[in-house]
Amino acid sequence: MSATAVHGGGIAGHIHPEPQGFVRRYIFSIDHKIIGIQYIVTGFVFLILSGMLAEIIRTQLLHANGGFVSPDVYNEVYSMHGSAMVWLVIIPLITGGFGNVIMPLQIGARDVAFPWLNMISFWIFPVAGLMLFSSFLMGAPVAGWTEYPPMSLQAGPGTSMWAAAIFLVGVSSTLTGINFVVTMYQMRAPGMTFTRMPLFCWAQLATAPLLMIATTALAAALAALFMERQFGVPFYDPTKGGSPIMWQHMFWFYSHPAVYIMILPAFGMISEILPTFSRKPIFGYKMIAFSSMAIALAGFMVWAHHMFTSGLAPYLQLPFMILTFTIAIPTGVKIFSWTATLWGGKIQYTTSLLFAVGFVGLFTLGGITGIFLAAVPFDLHVHGTYFVVAHFHYVLVGGSLMGIFAGTYYYFPKMSGRLMNETLGKWHFWLFLIGFNGTFLPQHWLGMLGMPRRVPEYDPQFQFWNDFSSISSYVMTFAILLFFINLLWSIRNGKKAGPNPWGARTLEWQIPSPPHYYNFKNIPTVHGLPYNFGQPLPYKGLEEELTDSPVHAGAH
Amino acid sequence: MAVAAVPHGAVDHGGADQLYIETRSLRLQGFLLFLVSDCVLFSSFIFAYLYMRNSGQGWPPPGINRLDVAFAALNSVVLFGSGATMHYALENWKHENFGRYVFFMLATIVLGIGFLSGQAYEYTTLYFREHVSWAGSGIFGASFFTLTGMHGFHVSVGVLYLIILFLQSVHGIYTKDKYFGLTAGTLYWHFVDVIWVVLFSIFYLI
Repeated sequence: MSATAVHGGGIAGHIHPEPQGFVRRYIFSIDHKIIGIQYIVTGFVFLILSGMLAEIIRTQLLHANGGFVSPDVYNEVYSMHGSAMVWLVIIPLITGGFGNVIMPLQIGARDVAFPWLNMISFWIFPVAGLMLFSSFLMGAPVAGWTEYPPMSLQAGPGTSMWAAAIFLVGVSSTLTGINFVVTMYQMRAPGMTFTRMPLFCWAQLATAPLLMIATTALAAALAALFMERQFGVPFYDPTKGGSPIMWQHMFWFYSHPAVYIMILPAFGMISEILPTFSRKPIFGYKMIAFSSMAIALAGFMVWAHHMFTSGLAPYLQLPFMILTFTIAIPTGVKIFSWTATLWGGKIQYTTSLLFAVGFVGLFTLGGITGIFLAAVPFDLHVHGTYFVVAHFHYVLVGGSLMGIFAGTYYYFPKMSGRLMNETLGKWHFWLFLIGFNGTFLPQHWLGMLGMPRRVPEYDPQFQFWNDFSSISSYVMTFAILLFFINLLWSIRNGKKAGPNPWGARTLEWQIPSPPHYYNFKNIPTVHGLPYNFGQPLPYKGLEEELTDSPVHAGAH
Repeated sequence: MAVAAVPHGAVDHGGADQLYIETRSLRLQGFLLFLVSDCVLFSSFIFAYLYMRNSGQGWPPPGINRLDVAFAALNSVVLFGSGATMHYALENWKHENFGRYVFFMLATIVLGIGFLSGQAYEYTTLYFREHVSWAGSGIFGASFFTLTGMHGFHVSVGVLYLIILFLQSVHGIYTKDKYFGLTAGTLYWHFVDVIWVVLFSIFYLI
């Protein structure tokens, strides 16, 4: 007799036959778990490539008069480093990667709402990435990842390739955003109201509309740039009636929400990891959930704080400054809630927890320098200097990337059935912490002392701290190397993990590691929040999940 | 006045149909969100147009004549009419009036092609008589041809989609309960209509 229970019909109960053949299972898979892993692997490959570009930057800056690469190549290197990190590493890893792997499991679904669309979304990504890197062969973009006209109008063909590649990867993002919203709205397990949904899913729910809406705005800006460069249609060229400031508005209207795309899912990850390793409920669940939505919404209203030196009228600068300050409030709510979660908890010092705690500290530092930058008088002084570089590396590397590391150590066992090596993990963490801070902390005062960004050479007064920064960056790179060694080693040799090595309480930990392709034998019913450690699990219907009872894929 | 219900040749997919019907809300929400993102795309270009137009050199810029409002208004009526016929096509499908469905669906397609022909006429007039081009007429040509071109592209895709839907419905892909493709087509067609309301207003009326 089939053990497949069909709850309420439709997509909730229906188990498809298992896909057959290597290609359908691992290459053109429609399984969200496989797709998520594909995103993660591809994202990590681009992390390595873009990291190498970063080391070219740091090596160039070992000497005040440069000399490692020519200034023209240097412009290409930092433009591609920024573009790749934003669009080929952080965003795909944190939305398509971890979002796909975790979210459907956490809401008790068998897959996302549109699995075929999910697969298409993924496959666009490596193609677009190859397109972007191919621009090195034709004169890569040189105007930074922000590609302001008129420079971006005048540069070589690689800039058009850049525009096309980012447009394409944006399509991937937009489709993922649509997929995630519909999945979370319609496919939560019975009993899982929004206020019983795990915080990682709340974070993805806040991020998905940004993916949908903001990315499309970027698509318009890129399309206009492409049309102007290739067909001479005037948008941004002031000699033809266009406006370079218009590019800045259109670009930043996307790119500011983009930074929230890059951080909100990491916030969600931290909100899952901290309660597990404190053995305590998350403090302020509702506040954390709603603050994610507040940040997502407010994120649309502050874009011009990237344009304070572009000649905006002061009466316009003021509201953007004030709105930017206010984003600190929901963010601060999270920081306090996380701290209160840890407080008094029985802390288990796993690598995942170390990265999560490190995230809280380093992201806070980055957030504080963000407040400095929000103040117009200060920003006028440090715009375009290394202070800005320091700020965003603290929030993106000390924040998003550490969140990705934390999530990898946490979820690797669920996906592979094996634990990552804790010793190597701890070496990774401490070396990374030291290397990261050594690299980027001095850049704050380099910027305040006046060192501009995007320069291949600099005044000799900045020599010492640049060297300090560069040497530290090699330490950081070494730490990341340890991470990848750990990852690859643990796939075959890691200790077996079992379904729930961390004793966590969300749904994904109540099924085998790795999960069956159908996720759950029976979709459970949810009757409470997952974070109340010490209480029984708030689920019904999970009895068969860890048994060997057979499941028959069946059509209705 | 009912005619034949589901046309001959409709295939009974049994359980798969049931799944299709139950997951309709997924597809509907997904399609609506797609339309939202398409709205954002148009809004971004509309922002660009309004920003450039506000640059202070007067509109139309020197050397360019005002657009032909009367002709565009007539063309707009054609498009809005096609929106109405599409609405009736879907209503008749839902009430199993297949004959009327066919009439209104074909009317929609014809009117859609009519609108595109009107646009083509407008473009050729602008290019050959007024010497207004996409790249060679400053921000006027850039904004007008980009936005109306994007819209025309959406209408063209819409006409193709409607033709495909029509052929599918004739072959019995859709039933009385299972017709999401037609719903999606109707929503898309109304979306294209609404975008045109905005474009017509900002290019021809102001």
